[in-house]
Amino acid sequence: MEEMMTAPEAQVEAARLIAKGLATVSMFGSGIGEGILIGKALEAMGRNPEVSGTIFTRMIIGVALAESTAIYALVAFFLL
Amino acid sequence: MEQIGIVRDIPSLEPDVVFSIAGFPIASSTLMILLITLIVALLSGLMIRRFAVKPGKFQTAIELLYEQVVGLVDQITQSRKHSERIFPIIGAMLVYLTIANLIGVIPGLTEITYEGSPIFRSPTADFNTTFGLAFAAVLVLQFVSIKDYGVLGHLGKFIKLKEVYQGFKKGISSGLVSLIDFFVGLLDIIGEIAKIVSLALRLFGNMYAGNVLMVIIFGAISVVLPAVWLGMNIFVGVLQAMVFSALVAAYYMLAVKPEAEEE
Repeated sequence: MEEMMTAPEAQVEAARLIAKGLATVSMFGSGIGEGILIGKALEAMGRNPEVSGTIFTRMIIGVALAESTAIYALVAFFLL
Repeated sequence: MEQIGIVRDIPSLEPDVVFSIAGFPIASSTLMILLITLIVALLSGLMIRRFAVKPGKFQTAIELLYEQVVGLVDQITQSRKHSERIFPIIGAMLVYLTIANLIGVIPGLTEITYEGSPIFRSPTADFNTTFGLAFAAVLVLQFVSIKDYGVLGHLGKFIKLKEVYQGFKKGISSGLVSLIDFFVGLLDIIGEIAKIVSLALRLFGNMYAGNVLMVIIFGAISVVLPAVWLGMNIFVGVLQAMVFSALVAAYYMLAVKPEAEEE
């Protein structure tokens, strides 16, 4: 069993865990952004069905780019 | 409820150093990169030796891949001349990154250990690999820009003294606008650093988070769920390789002088 931490060390550890949790709140914006992007892509595919292959490919690349802010938050989470 | 998970350690952020040569630490990702480069070079050498006018099955597959990559680069550059100029580097980056991202999927490869540290980790799950690649790509772009604009012209894109002088000659209000342009030009220097960091972090984050989540899912339920996550990992690996190469091509188009209307 590990020994109990002293009070200041426990506070630092608690603050670190709260910071870890707060770092993942920022992924919420990325979810909204991707939802808007995919919605617009589906609307464009409905208007112009013959280019839907191209639109789908561009949409996948756009989703990967919009995901990158969420990935930065994930890396910050692992670093904390 | 019985335990149906297999518990492992979470892979660390630091690379695993396997051995050192004269004080220079060689990590597992270095060995993997050398292995991948060797395999790709041998494969290409074998292909070129066996070129035939009537293609066999393997050559048809390679030609199909080539057509797809040229199509991708053409969509970004919109001009044949630039496509031919950067296709070698973009194509090579795409093939190398696809293989490097997917090599972690081969089962049993991480068990080969040398004195207790695994040799074959996925190389792009290591920040040093992705940072080196992104830094080298942006450095090449700087050299391309210097070649097109000249050294003073390239520095003049960031430090816009000439525009400020001309703006103040025209009048006070356009002079103040050109002052704002001057500060935006200085911020572009930070933009270049942001390009390196964003490219490196995107690739590293996707691959590393995939690894960590795989270990966690194996720890919880190791019956059917890891297969689903493995499929997602394969998809993300190919996609991130494509996004990296396409972004480097797009930055190249920003760095070159826009040509005149004639082709």
